[in-house]
Amino acid sequence: MFFGSDNLFLRVFLVPFEWNCEEIKLVDMANGLIRNYLYKGIIILGTTCMVLSSCSTEIDINAPNQNVPIVYCILNDADSVQYVRLQKTYLVDQAAISTPPEADSLYFPGEIQISLERWENGRPVQTVQFEPTYDVPKDSGFFPVEKHMVYKAHVKILPMKTYYLYVYIKDKEEVLFAETTTLGHMTVTDPLDLKQRKIALNIGENYICRWQPVENAGIYQIGIRLNYLETVDGVTVAKSLDMPQSFTNPVTNIDYLTRVISGSRFIHIISEQLKPIPGVVREVQNLDFYFITGGKEIKYYIESTAPSEGALIEKPVYSNFNNGLGLFSSSARADIKGLYLANTTLDSIAYSQLTNNLGFLDHNGDRDSSNICSNQ
Amino acid sequence: MIRKRIFRSFVFLMIGFSLVACDKTPPNGNNNNNSKAPVTGTLEVEFRIPGSFLPPNRVLRADLSVAVDAEHLYKGHFFYVANVYNNKLMYQITLKPGNYYYQAGIVCIAGGDSCSAAGFPGGQFGVKWAIGTAQVNANEITHVVPQFTQ
Repeated sequence: MFFGSDNLFLRVFLVPFEWNCEEIKLVDMANGLIRNYLYKGIIILGTTCMVLSSCSTEIDINAPNQNVPIVYCILNDADSVQYVRLQKTYLVDQAAISTPPEADSLYFPGEIQISLERWENGRPVQTVQFEPTYDVPKDSGFFPVEKHMVYKAHVKILPMKTYYLYVYIKDKEEVLFAETTTLGHMTVTDPLDLKQRKIALNIGENYICRWQPVENAGIYQIGIRLNYLETVDGVTVAKSLDMPQSFTNPVTNIDYLTRVISGSRFIHIISEQLKPIPGVVREVQNLDFYFITGGKEIKYYIESTAPSEGALIEKPVYSNFNNGLGLFSSSARADIKGLYLANTTLDSIAYSQLTNNLGFLDHNGDRDSSNICSNQ
Repeated sequence: MIRKRIFRSFVFLMIGFSLVACDKTPPNGNNNNNSKAPVTGTLEVEFRIPGSFLPPNRVLRADLSVAVDAEHLYKGHFFYVANVYNNKLMYQITLKPGNYYYQAGIVCIAGGDSCSAAGFPGGQFGVKWAIGTAQVNANEITHVVPQFTQ
């Protein structure tokens, strides 16, 4: 009956001083009843919430996605076009782990401005703007391939210079920036680009690559590529087999850096990577050498993403960007292409126990091992 | 007494087993006593680049190959080809005892007609060859120095 009167309800909370004792008693009774109902309501509501919430076994362990920008840019002094990859973090639940996300969830909407500045003597002397492009094909994989957007700019990178990369994202009202110093020139001593000098890579015969240390370099890697022709059912296709070598760390106070390419490993990789095909004829063409060096930032990034060997299971991923994540560094490379393999190497590929079923021709251009000389 | 004898016998038996288990000598794996390393010698090639009027590092080592006889050498059927380098002078090759034929090549990379003037056939990227024989004896080092024509 007390709740039916608006005046009394108001009066319960706004007790006037000029009321008499009867009215005050009436109000006290009303207050007591309301308190009673409120206590009961709170107890019932709390108990219901506890019961309902305790029935749920799912725990949301993911924090809300913050769309953190991720930028990758490796300046390449051997190219006149530079690329920047800008994406953002996204959250995917366990149920969708096998389903690639939508392309829209990887890219920021709205205006994006990316610029590269070269600084000399404490001030910028060159500024280049990046433009979006889709002309870089993306490999298949978990990420969406229908829309692979990167940013590119036509600019020649000078060695031993300081560069700044700025990324403005209007959607987040943020500016990301990073700094790097480009590498010096890479000079390879062995192998020389000399077609008369044959490369021998057999079991027991290794090749020693040599190059001069590069200024500001943090890490080196050599790769070799075996180029060959593969003929199946009369159709000849040019193919290649890449064999990246392990990383080499820079050493100070040394004239030359070396990396031994194992001949045994060379033969083993061919046997592991190529499959025997009935009727196939393969003919080795030549061998390419790739010498690639990266800045210290790349070294730190590779070390931070390498598998942990100690008790520290999860290592923080290296980033040299302010206001975001990513990597801005530079690389230098030297390619020695089209070197010929020694006759003994061609014969080893053709007739060694590991590779004799792959259909490679020997140095005579046939599969007749009777005219192959051996000292065994 | 009987128990003691049985215990002693058991102890001796266990000692015998343990001694057998400690024998690290590998058993003869039916290799018919052919485990001896093959007898070899060493062919050591001192690969000198002859002096010329050309600037330094314009004549480089190009090839060092070994064949069993002259015919195989002529046909290019080598059983060993060395990786040659600018900074490496001595090349050692382990071979069975016998007589071998080797060839060494140097290439001229100088510009203009310098290579032709220095006697390299074909001018730039022309190769001069030096061919010789070497007798390799067991457990010995045979030292040879390829001689190039001027």
